[in-house]
Amino acid sequence: MKLIIAILREDRVEDTKEVLETLGIKGVTFLYVTGRGQQKGRVTAWELGESLNRNMRMQLVGARPGEELPNVGSGVAGSPLHRDTEFAFGFLPKRMIIMVASDKEVNLIVQAILNANQTGQHGDGRIFICPMIGAIRIRTGEQADKALS
Amino acid sequence: MIWAVIRPESAQRVIKALDITGIGGITCLHVTGHGKEMGITLGAVHYTEIPKEMLMIVVPDNDVAKTVTIIRKEAKTGSKNTPGEGTIGDGKIFVTYVEDTFAIRTAGKAGGT
Repeated sequence: MKLIIAILREDRVEDTKEVLETLGIKGVTFLYVTGRGQQKGRVTAWELGESLNRNMRMQLVGARPGEELPNVGSGVAGSPLHRDTEFAFGFLPKRMIIMVASDKEVNLIVQAILNANQTGQHGDGRIFICPMIGAIRIRTGEQADKALS
Repeated sequence: MIWAVIRPESAQRVIKALDITGIGGITCLHVTGHGKEMGITLGAVHYTEIPKEMLMIVVPDNDVAKTVTIIRKEAKTGSKNTPGEGTIGDGKIFVTYVEDTFAIRTAGKAGGT
């Protein structure tokens, strides 16, 4: 048995659920977490433009009400919000999914999670696989692989 | 893989210290729980769910000792009578194995245990 811990983007969780359901993986636990990786919570203006509403963007660039907002993600070099301008947020909201699977299912699950979550941008997340030495179904007391199915 | 259950107040200090050492990836979970003291009694009310911050950090084998030392140093609270001795409820650190790591963006195996 293996414990699979995956840290995902919030907006990819629904897709991941669907894929896991088609594979017949039933037991999954979802957690709301915050985290950061090698980028230390940096996001680019382009990613911000994708995910933030106008008010939040105005606060970030310090624009006064009524003032024209710089065109986020326009790609104009020298503009204060060039699409590659980075903001440091520290910890970003993420979803963690945890599941325990039998050894032979692990590869399938990892591939499914990879397929459902790859955007190619930083922040796609990580998958960790750890050994798990026991599982018990509380209702019946079944053990090991029987407790999973 | 290091799981550290620490006081929410000391989380920022721990994270800052890890930052300086260059430990990049950290995941934070807000959890509640109690230790062997079975919670805390304040007046007539007994609390069994005390809020804690749980940090999940995956580092290469060589960095485990260093990371644990930093967390211990920063998460330990001093009390008036015994400065730096720590107090009940400072938390616990658990270290476990990771067999495999995948970076989703590149689908590649990332190093580290």
